[in-house]
Amino acid sequence: MNAPVLNNKAVSHSGVVMVIGGGVAGVQAALDLSALGYRVYLVEKSAAVGGVMARLDKTFPTNDCSLCILAPKLVEAGRDANIEIITKSELISLTGEAGKFNAVIKKQPRYIDSEICTGCGQCTLYCLQKIGDNYNENLNFTHAAHIDYAQAVPTSYYIDPKACLQLNYQTCGLCAVSCRAGAIRFDDQEEIVSIAVGAVILAPGFGRISEDVLRAYGWGKFEDVLTAFEHERLMCASGPTGGVIARPSDNCHPKRIAFLQCIGSRDENCGNNYCSSVCCMYAVKQATLAREHDPEAEITLFYMDVRTPGKGFDAAWERAVAENNLRVIHARPPRVENVFGGALLLTWADDSGRHHYEKFDLVVLSQGLEAPDEAENIALTAGIDLNHYQFAATGFYAPLETSRPGVYAVGAFQGPKDIPESVTQASGAAGLCSGLLADVRNSETVVRAFPAERDVAAEEPRVGVFVCHCGINIGGVVNVPEVRAYAKTLPGVVYAADNLYSCSQDTQGQLVKIIKEYKLNRLVVAACSPRTHEPLFQATMREAGLNRALFEMANIRDQCSWVHMHEKEAATVKARDLVRMAVAKACLLTPLEEQELPVTPSALVVGGGLAGLTAALSIADQGFECTLIERAKKLGGRTLLLTMDRHGKDPRQAVRELMDRARNHPKITVLTGVELANISGYVGNFTSTIVVVNNGAVTGPKGNTVINHGVVILATGGKPYIPRKFGYGESKRVLTQIELEKRLAGKKALPADCRQVVMIQCVGSRGDDLSYCSRVCCGQAVKNALRIKNLNPEVQITVLYRDMRTYGFMEDDYRQAREHGVIFTRYTPERPPIVAVSGQSGGSKPLVKVFDPIIGDEVERRADLLVLSTGIEADDPALLAKLLKVPVTADKFFLEAHVKLRPVDLAVDGVYVCGLAHSPKSIDETIAQAQAAGGRACQPLAQGRITPEPIVSSVDPDKCVGCGACEMFCLYKAIQIYKDGKKRKARTITALCKGCGVCAARCPTLAIDMGRFTYDGIMAQIHTFNPQGVE
Amino acid sequence: MTTEYNPHILGFLCNWCCYTAADSAGVGRYQYPPNLRVIRIMCTGRLDPSFPLEGLAAGADGIFVGGCHPGECHYQDGNYHALISASLIHEMLERLRISRERFLIDWASAAEGPNFVRIITAFTAKISALGPLGQAEGKEQGELRRQLSLMVEAARGRKIRTGLINASREMMKTKDFSREAVSALVHDKCAKALSNLGAGGKYIL
Repeated sequence: MNAPVLNNKAVSHSGVVMVIGGGVAGVQAALDLSALGYRVYLVEKSAAVGGVMARLDKTFPTNDCSLCILAPKLVEAGRDANIEIITKSELISLTGEAGKFNAVIKKQPRYIDSEICTGCGQCTLYCLQKIGDNYNENLNFTHAAHIDYAQAVPTSYYIDPKACLQLNYQTCGLCAVSCRAGAIRFDDQEEIVSIAVGAVILAPGFGRISEDVLRAYGWGKFEDVLTAFEHERLMCASGPTGGVIARPSDNCHPKRIAFLQCIGSRDENCGNNYCSSVCCMYAVKQATLAREHDPEAEITLFYMDVRTPGKGFDAAWERAVAENNLRVIHARPPRVENVFGGALLLTWADDSGRHHYEKFDLVVLSQGLEAPDEAENIALTAGIDLNHYQFAATGFYAPLETSRPGVYAVGAFQGPKDIPESVTQASGAAGLCSGLLADVRNSETVVRAFPAERDVAAEEPRVGVFVCHCGINIGGVVNVPEVRAYAKTLPGVVYAADNLYSCSQDTQGQLVKIIKEYKLNRLVVAACSPRTHEPLFQATMREAGLNRALFEMANIRDQCSWVHMHEKEAATVKARDLVRMAVAKACLLTPLEEQELPVTPSALVVGGGLAGLTAALSIADQGFECTLIERAKKLGGRTLLLTMDRHGKDPRQAVRELMDRARNHPKITVLTGVELANISGYVGNFTSTIVVVNNGAVTGPKGNTVINHGVVILATGGKPYIPRKFGYGESKRVLTQIELEKRLAGKKALPADCRQVVMIQCVGSRGDDLSYCSRVCCGQAVKNALRIKNLNPEVQITVLYRDMRTYGFMEDDYRQAREHGVIFTRYTPERPPIVAVSGQSGGSKPLVKVFDPIIGDEVERRADLLVLSTGIEADDPALLAKLLKVPVTADKFFLEAHVKLRPVDLAVDGVYVCGLAHSPKSIDETIAQAQAAGGRACQPLAQGRITPEPIVSSVDPDKCVGCGACEMFCLYKAIQIYKDGKKRKARTITALCKGCGVCAARCPTLAIDMGRFTYDGIMAQIHTFNPQGVE
Repeated sequence: MTTEYNPHILGFLCNWCCYTAADSAGVGRYQYPPNLRVIRIMCTGRLDPSFPLEGLAAGADGIFVGGCHPGECHYQDGNYHALISASLIHEMLERLRISRERFLIDWASAAEGPNFVRIITAFTAKISALGPLGQAEGKEQGELRRQLSLMVEAARGRKIRTGLINASREMMKTKDFSREAVSALVHDKCAKALSNLGAGGKYIL
């Protein structure tokens, strides 16, 4: 039990949260809330959760299989006892106030009882009424009785009442006859449900660009003009063509493919002046996959600017373009024509004004993200404000909070964004709900119970093998049916099957059924990586009454089909070998006892800047003790270098308010002028040594401090890159944007007689000194250009840029700057600007020369101020990475556990990252991410205990000779020598053992063995790896 | 024309670095030769010295052990202990006159998918060039298996393992984790046990 938080909240708060929208953001919010101790109603307007991500084939920048990484989350949400998924429903009223709302839901009938439906699909088979398959963008047909997609959660069919013959004309009813479960309910009625909730998270996702906009580009008129969503479905194995990119007009492979960017984005004509932020990346993803589908195709991408400012995006984009031989053209073809018959004509003008035209077989429209169609309705019902583009209006310093307290907005409804940012916001909002409702944590939740485990000790191994197609991710390379048939012949195997997606919810149900039916006592899944999917299958085993240690995976995707894409036979042989090895090991697996460890309910936050302050406040507001340490003598970090945000407010003021709140919060201990010297332990039980730096602590402790804590958040921030060229340091007229910020806030904002300001973008970034894009500099340049224009409209400002990356609503500022006469001139890395600084005094005006592609000649500008838009460098993460054993990227940012779905977790449990230590980002993004880290970090604290995987060592006392080598080499003090009568023996302290196995490898008598990674198990793998070595 | 030999390679990858690197190579679609069969272990420190030897006896032409970079081990110094075991393997291979290049221990962090691919591609090419185990060494198969089994038994035996304990203890004391230093330690602590193997060194120099 958690002690009530010290505040005035009434006890009548509800420990229930309603999440509107079941896309990836909504599902993540629901899962996080459940883990934080709240009951969740997940309200989805369609018939299944999953949202747009479930319709994607792959996700950028890694081109990871979208459904493969999403499905485990959907399944988890579906089986979570504290999450109730309500489909085909919408919010119709929300009354009350934060902490005690009354939400009313209108629930449309499914006409098929989800509780009874087995997902067999007979109803679809017998249904006479064909309808367009919305999940597949209406590129094929389904029936009035149907399921959206095979992995849908809930795994239940439903009837489209608009199409059903029985519901409309009482002339059919075949489905009811064919349904052996008796799940069809033609008399199903609309329901109105009223639910008391403490908070609401709005995650309805985004809407589609209107068809009028698409028609302007020939969509709907020419068959071979596709939206990116349609193209995505064509690429997908579970799509209408089974994963073949066949152009609709003739079912042939297109040989010349064009991608048109900014369809319905950055376009004032259609009212969407903002940038949709995701299309540049998804287009290059689709182009890469089109290349995989056809090595011969000519693929062209038409960009206005290449906007790939996300973490690792530039590198992924450049690699994709180079490796896949993609042609990139900086232009915006205004329309698609079909003048030559059988081919689509694009015309465009290049930077110099020259006109080009070319024919293509297929044109893909990279459509942007719009506010959802029902945005106005939602706003009205939930009582929140929208911005001028109909997205949820949230504060710059409270990016997840709507205008109504207790109602939060996350994901694309809050503004166009990609999956990791949506997931981040979802976790952030869950943390905020947990803060709001800290006093009623665990008041409405139930504890999930598994059936008792079956004792299999006396049984012969009965192994079940499931080989996954993973759509075409495995099946497109490895001959899965052959591997399945082979598995059936292996010793110990009594059942073998192949699945399209082994991770889907219906497959989990089947697994449980088959385990029981065939009395399986070992399970082998040949699919993706145990690192990502083992927990899912292990949970399924527990549902089937088997100990989770009786499970083994064969990694035939990440380490087979994906890395041997062009060697199908060799990959199949390898898959057979890996399955054989896994089965051999599985036969020797034994059940392992679970252990439960207590959690120290407090956190350590490293770094007292914007991210650290926000994270610490999130944790403290959720009711947990938090120590915030900062190396500098003062809190605040580098946000204090900024003097105005893009809305005209002073960020320093906002940070100071956070500093005051943190210092006065009863649950936060602030230590400044200190550093983390050492950290040991594991999630739930860390011990850190904090030392004073530079002998100059102002408020810090006298000597070293040792604190115990359950989790740690790294918010170590970044620092401005110091330029080494363009005359920086030689002339006082050359300064960085950060220095300009300070100057603009000062008394003498601009030099006397200032006429000409030149800004150079990407100084030090994007392959200069830093390989990556620093994300914020374009927005900062535009903001500061507008500030100068406001001070003196007569100043001529020229911004020299490579791609203006004013993503999202920042595009408004970019347009405004152009309207105010700011000149934007594109330069290429091959022809960078040249700056000459003359004179020794440093006061003379630098001369900037740059090639202007529009004029086709070099232009010179004598700048009164030359402003360098410099990037952000990470604070050196080496020491922390070493102490915590967490990986960092080549660019020295902490590497998250999963770039898409675990964006603030690090690979080591209980360690989280936020702010610039993760990657360059803006103020609002930093706040949302820090709130996410705070929300995630409180999960182990709220649960109060952890159950680590029982892969610990055990000592056979009969073999042990008591030499003590194990005790000597164990750094975790997890092995002790004790006296058994006169004999010395070793024993494992299970709670301390981490399972590394050094003791086992060093034991002179092989008396020590490791759970799941046993000597005999590994030997069995060794003996079976070579097909020729197996009889 | 000679066709390139398609070798059997067995790998032991630690869960936290090299196995993750291998996964990330897959996610990034970095291609490498399909010869490697991977056994996942939590840490290279779990590598029993008998495992690689048994692997060679079971038909592997090359053995790869992949862990975290020195100093970055998830369990702090498991990969140093792996270096001790690795030194023993190299020592034994030399005594058997089997090319020491058939056993490789190397590192790739979780973020280094391409590095993992580079290591495996190079190792596969190397083993392919060496050819089938025994053939390149001019050893008769039956004899080779007998010798390897003997080594497996030796690696499971108390004498060698006590030698490794002493070498590990020394390594931890000196904090010199260079490959040269570690192999000198193992040579020093295990030489006697190794020389006394198999009928007075009948099979072994």
